[in-house]
Amino acid sequence: MTDATRTIRFTLNGRAVTARIAVYETLVEVLQREFALLGARESCAQGLCGCCTVLVDGTAVSGCLYLAAFADGAELVTVEGLPKDGVLHPVQQAFVDKGAFQCGFCTPGMVLMTKELLEQHPHPTEDQIRHYLSGNLCRCASYPEIVQAVKLAADKVHI
Amino acid sequence: MRSIGQSVPRLEGHAKVTGSVEYIHHLRLPGMLYGKIHRSALAHARIVSIDASAALALDGVHAVITIQDVLSLVPNPYYGPAFHDQPILAHGKVRHVGEPVAVALAVDPHIAEQAADLIHVEYEPLDAVFDEIEAARPDAPIIHDVLKPAGMFTDLKHLGGRSGTNVALDARVRRGDIAKGFAEADRIFEHTFRTGKVIHATFEPMVSLAEKQGDGITIHTASQSPSFVRAEVSRLLGWAENRVRVRTAFLGGGFGAKLYIKLEALVAVCALLTGKPVRIGLSMDEQFYTITKHGATVRIKTGVTDDGRMIAREVETYWNGGAYADIGPRVTQKSGFTAAGPYDIEHVALDNYAVYTNHPPAGALRGFGISQLVWAYERQADIIAREMGIDPLAFRRKNVLREGRPHATGTVVTDMEIDAVLDLLEKRMDWRRPFDRGTGVIRRGRGLAIGLKACISPTTSVATVLLYGDGSCALHCGTVDMGQASDTAMAQIVSEVLGIQTQSIRVVRPDTDVTPYDMATLGSRSTFHMGNAVRAAAEDVLAQVFHIAATSLDTEVSSLECVDAEVVSSRGARMTLREIMLARFAMQAGTIVGTGSFAPHYKKPDPATGQSPDVTPFWMLGGAGAEIEVDTETGRIEVTKLVNVADVGRALNPASVDRQLTGAAIMQVGFTLFEEMVFSDGQVVNASLADYKIPGFLDVPRDISAGYVEVPHRNGPYGAKGVGETGVFSPSPAIANALYDALGVIVHDLPLTPERVLRAIRQAENRPLGDE
Amino acid sequence: MKNFELVEPATIDEAVALLDPDDAGVRAIAGGTALMLMMKARLFEPVRLVSLRRVNGALRGVRENAGGGLTVGAMTTLTELERSPKIAAALPVMSRALHTLSNVRIRNVATLGGHLAHGDPHMDLPPILLTLGARVRAVSRRGERWIDIADLFVGYYQVAVARDELITEIDVPAQPAGVHTWYAKFAALSADDWPSVGVAVWYRTDGERIAEARVAVSAATEMPLRLAGAERALVGNAPTPQTFAAAADVAAEAIEPVADIRGTAAYKREMVRVHTRRALAQALHTGRAAR
Repeated sequence: MTDATRTIRFTLNGRAVTARIAVYETLVEVLQREFALLGARESCAQGLCGCCTVLVDGTAVSGCLYLAAFADGAELVTVEGLPKDGVLHPVQQAFVDKGAFQCGFCTPGMVLMTKELLEQHPHPTEDQIRHYLSGNLCRCASYPEIVQAVKLAADKVHI
Repeated sequence: MRSIGQSVPRLEGHAKVTGSVEYIHHLRLPGMLYGKIHRSALAHARIVSIDASAALALDGVHAVITIQDVLSLVPNPYYGPAFHDQPILAHGKVRHVGEPVAVALAVDPHIAEQAADLIHVEYEPLDAVFDEIEAARPDAPIIHDVLKPAGMFTDLKHLGGRSGTNVALDARVRRGDIAKGFAEADRIFEHTFRTGKVIHATFEPMVSLAEKQGDGITIHTASQSPSFVRAEVSRLLGWAENRVRVRTAFLGGGFGAKLYIKLEALVAVCALLTGKPVRIGLSMDEQFYTITKHGATVRIKTGVTDDGRMIAREVETYWNGGAYADIGPRVTQKSGFTAAGPYDIEHVALDNYAVYTNHPPAGALRGFGISQLVWAYERQADIIAREMGIDPLAFRRKNVLREGRPHATGTVVTDMEIDAVLDLLEKRMDWRRPFDRGTGVIRRGRGLAIGLKACISPTTSVATVLLYGDGSCALHCGTVDMGQASDTAMAQIVSEVLGIQTQSIRVVRPDTDVTPYDMATLGSRSTFHMGNAVRAAAEDVLAQVFHIAATSLDTEVSSLECVDAEVVSSRGARMTLREIMLARFAMQAGTIVGTGSFAPHYKKPDPATGQSPDVTPFWMLGGAGAEIEVDTETGRIEVTKLVNVADVGRALNPASVDRQLTGAAIMQVGFTLFEEMVFSDGQVVNASLADYKIPGFLDVPRDISAGYVEVPHRNGPYGAKGVGETGVFSPSPAIANALYDALGVIVHDLPLTPERVLRAIRQAENRPLGDE
Repeated sequence: MKNFELVEPATIDEAVALLDPDDAGVRAIAGGTALMLMMKARLFEPVRLVSLRRVNGALRGVRENAGGGLTVGAMTTLTELERSPKIAAALPVMSRALHTLSNVRIRNVATLGGHLAHGDPHMDLPPILLTLGARVRAVSRRGERWIDIADLFVGYYQVAVARDELITEIDVPAQPAGVHTWYAKFAALSADDWPSVGVAVWYRTDGERIAEARVAVSAATEMPLRLAGAERALVGNAPTPQTFAAAADVAAEAIEPVADIRGTAAYKREMVRVHTRRALAQALHTGRAAR
């Protein structure tokens, strides 16, 4: 058996970082422990709810099913990396404006998935929104407000 | 009104969209141990031995705690809000699969998990019983040797010492003469409806941490009831309440799951035994073994006259309480007395039985038992209406309980806008419009339903409002914001009284060392109870501020008002709150403290008849209308339109009310169409979100909306009533009534899975789907 | 999770050298979405994981092969397949299915090789690939071989890939002009649930008659499989509702449904009947000739 730990290097929210990790650790565990980034959080632990969403090399992944070791060399963005100079990302602002959350536990994942959605479909239809986000669950069921927030963000991002 | 009635944005919005909002889930304490629970594999068994040697041999394992360790600290380790029946860890026997038997404590969560797996428990199996009807029979295996009511609720005391039964509580209501009522009825309808077990599935899974501090202990917990946790942990430890500090943060969902004691007693004991901080956080699958909603069997018999008036109703409800009572007996009693529905029925007999079974414990889940009852009485209402040839809406109008009429409990109904709710439902559903039911494979139907809840009583809330030296303001209240936007609503009340901007008011997270007593955040009680307490506390501050200003400005208190953090006299003299503080304390410092409390009046029902002149502080009424499409070849239902209408008294924050109603309705759509815990010998077959599906974006009806009726309640803060649960009352029967409208088929059990619906369709077509 | 060895070879040769025919604790990991679930549930406790992450380039992408069909590298993610214009043009049935397969995050990470190697009967692509006549290339130290997709699935979560073999690519032959294809996915619980029943159909008409047909079922059965009886019931008949209904009846009677929380055996049999019939009818509207 090899050493349980290894060092990985990656870019996190635009900054080059290193972390000492165990091979069996997930991305969410490492982001929380090593970097105190708490926006990605484990809930269902099965990649179904989306609470643990992280962008790896520009695509959304479930951080609870992603070995941290695989982040070596990658470019990671978490919800904490979205605001620029203290100003919320338009998607975040749209969620605030539409009150598109209740308990907020799923919100960072919804925000990141929306960011990816708008990159794929700058002017999404309601169907596209529902389908793209269908892998993100909200137990408080703020779904109608989230759909509104996504539409608002689409208007704002691309004006 | 300055702030009340405005859709003020949520105070914590920014923190939630940036991921920085505080949840106990994220708390790590220096030097803490991670606890992982070893759970029972059997539903009912005597524990012969527990062998932790392999777990203890693992590197990084600090201890394995069993009931023997607990007993050294807590000689009587049984807790619960209604009954002291639940041991901190299994004591001699296990009563459900997944019951905590031991805890492995380790420096790392992965090691704790491995250690918990390595604990070996030897059992001697006992006969188990799962069905609530079977469990209530005299020959059923007995789950608890003797009933142990907690004593907090005086109306449960008489049950103490009762043995040889799984019926933890029987609660009855008697009004009129039921035999006479049925004798006078022209038609009698009798049905049995059932609901399965479902769960909250809060996205922030249950989590608690404890740390010993001096001669006290601090418990950080994702709890809806910090005050209760403090009282109960103090009682278990034999300590004064002031040695136990319970604090919480924002909750990633609650819905009733995070009430009373869940992990708190266990984590406290682990911290005291080891001298180290301890964290126990559940995984999603463990939540399935911790607390559920009650499954129920409801037998409902109704006598109707030829002109369509209900004159007699008898309802017998068996509540599947699982292995421990939790708040089940209160659900049984406080919801049970509404089983006749929002109807004016002369002769009523209601019997409710809280039954122990070998399932995981059942407690409160958004609605506190109401939706199980509405499922039965509103399903039956449509059957009666059709049989009598009356339009379902007209049938309800003929029978509803109106202002000034006695409810089945004898309490006279006031401040309930039942006709307005029906009118709004009619309008939103466009009920008079001809409706195309289709002729092909896809059929359409529409239905509606109304449900009634009595807000539980008696309960108390206390709040403190503080004005700091610089004139800024904080609110200390024990209401836990678990997503319902209570912080914002409470701040709006302070804002309304003091004329300070809502956004600038600091709402302090519940912490029993700081925030005053509150019964709990449950049952849609906070807006009404805590709202009144907060208003009183703010008015107390205002009175002090006016007194200081009147002296300083040499004017009468009655000439003053507070606008934009400034006291203004009718003659135009002004003083900012900052200046008030300077005037009062002679320097820019000090604190003005205002307190308020609220406990509604209440009269305990007569145990023999359930009659009380004052059974609830307010009635909650929710109606739903649904349009569906049903695929007659698969049985799959698509809800195409869902309208929820509530009597809210007064919407303090309309956007929040809307979200609460719609969110609750979508949750109930899940409970209606597919959510159900499936058991095999007490094991939950689908204990994960992979197999226990909850509604996602694609399950939300295309046309979903909420509506509300606003007639201020005489005792509510600014007329407001609670609304967090109202949206769950009626969607299930509304959807099933739509199915009945579409095809005439009756499904007695929830959820309406495609298979259940298809079987009903095929049964009606006389070509039943076989069993294989 | 327990500690294990994680190796990240740079070439296919190195990767297969690190696999072990005798040790069930040694496995290749691609996207890892399915394997991680098993590891987190402690159903699989690896001794060594051979990551294919660095072998990526050689195993990624969709290209046209000599036979005019498409060859897909095993490390191609499901999102890449979903967005591939080549797939959309040649195999629209696959593009459509990918759109509702699991969720975006999983598709972003999960690979086609992993999707097939997992052997989960609820996966969406196996029944489709069964009807498309695909084959997979498996490589080991012993050499390489092609496995016909019909021989790949051998039981519940079981595939005919040996412990020391690696799926490197998937070949989908050129499809005949005008072929009719459809995949019907029926979710019994929430809309985004795994299928309770999946049915893929493929048929070619020759004039007024169905000349060749393939029907495959998944999710309802312990593994994805072709239904020869239903196929025979189609061939030689006109593509009419009567023919489809008759073939659907044969399909329903041919299977041994697995009862679970998504339906009893009787219900799943019925759903196979309904969805086979519906898929056959839907397929009639597809096909290049039909456009």
